[in-house]
Amino acid sequence: MAALPSMRPLGCLRSLIGLQDAVQPQITRRFISTAYSPKPKRVPLPPNLPQQFLSQLPERLQPREDSKRVKVYPAPPSTRKVCKDPIAKVTESQMAIHDPKGERKALFDYRRNPRSVKPGDILRVTFKNGDPFNGVALSIKLRGIDTSVLLRNELTRVAVEMSVKVFSPNVQSVEIVQRAERPARRARLYFMRSRKHDRRSVENLVGAYIRQKRAFLGGNRRK
Amino acid sequence: MIQLKSLLSCIDNSGASVVECVNVLKKKRAATIGDRIVVVVQKQRAAGSEGSGTALANKVRRGDIRHAVVVRVKKELQRPDGSLVRFGDNACVLINKAGDPIGTRMNGVVGQELRNKQWSKILSLAPVHV
Repeated sequence: MAALPSMRPLGCLRSLIGLQDAVQPQITRRFISTAYSPKPKRVPLPPNLPQQFLSQLPERLQPREDSKRVKVYPAPPSTRKVCKDPIAKVTESQMAIHDPKGERKALFDYRRNPRSVKPGDILRVTFKNGDPFNGVALSIKLRGIDTSVLLRNELTRVAVEMSVKVFSPNVQSVEIVQRAERPARRARLYFMRSRKHDRRSVENLVGAYIRQKRAFLGGNRRK
Repeated sequence: MIQLKSLLSCIDNSGASVVECVNVLKKKRAATIGDRIVVVVQKQRAAGSEGSGTALANKVRRGDIRHAVVVRVKKELQRPDGSLVRFGDNACVLINKAGDPIGTRMNGVVGQELRNKQWSKILSLAPVHV
């Protein structure tokens, strides 16, 4: 498209510029990041190089066949295959230790066993050191070996709540003092903390139960 | 969780009925059962209402600054065997600087954690402990 030099005397200069234009713009517009130069081919070492020269080369230039190979180790054996459900296994083994006959489990498995403790029942838990704790069962948390029951009572006009781990070796016995009159319609009776629904002290109920029990047993066994 | 400005009921016969925590001693966090705190007596019991005689009534007065031991807390406490204990209120017992209780009687249940923290004198005064 350049005009003929005879028409415009200085056009020859333009043709020079135009020539540059054709080459330059691409170069000037390029970003540094797009500037690409292919990686230079590695110059092969001259053949039949004596062995003693190789040691003079830097390490990265020394001819090594496995220089680029990464060693791949076999995957460790899967623990999942060894034990599919470790939690269940631990629970099972702990149950075998703390509740070999499964009585305690049956006593608290309120979802399956109709004769079990239910929320709203009044319980008496006796510990290994002889201390008893009585209370209304507000909630039974079925968590395998960590199964616990939350008891609420009132001692000296102060509410006391105690969550007891059922399978704890500290727990000697759990007795049902009184069943709920009718089954509670929910699993967690936290509303019993409110003043309106509070059962207050269950000590006299428990006292009556103990007296009854003692009379039934003929008084030959205390408590 | 007893901290600055917490109001506690005082369950001994020292004469205070409601006290306010102003400092937790030997601890950088909230006090719990068995911890020593500094309290201000906010409300005192009516004098002579204890019935034990005028000599005993009201050893402390409103505005007194005293040391006290927390014996009940609302915040649940975990025992070493995994069980939890929670009381319906926060309560304390006033003590003197030497650590002896100011009152001679206590009414109300206290936590068993006092035993581990060398407050067996308070524990023996209490009618019930859980």
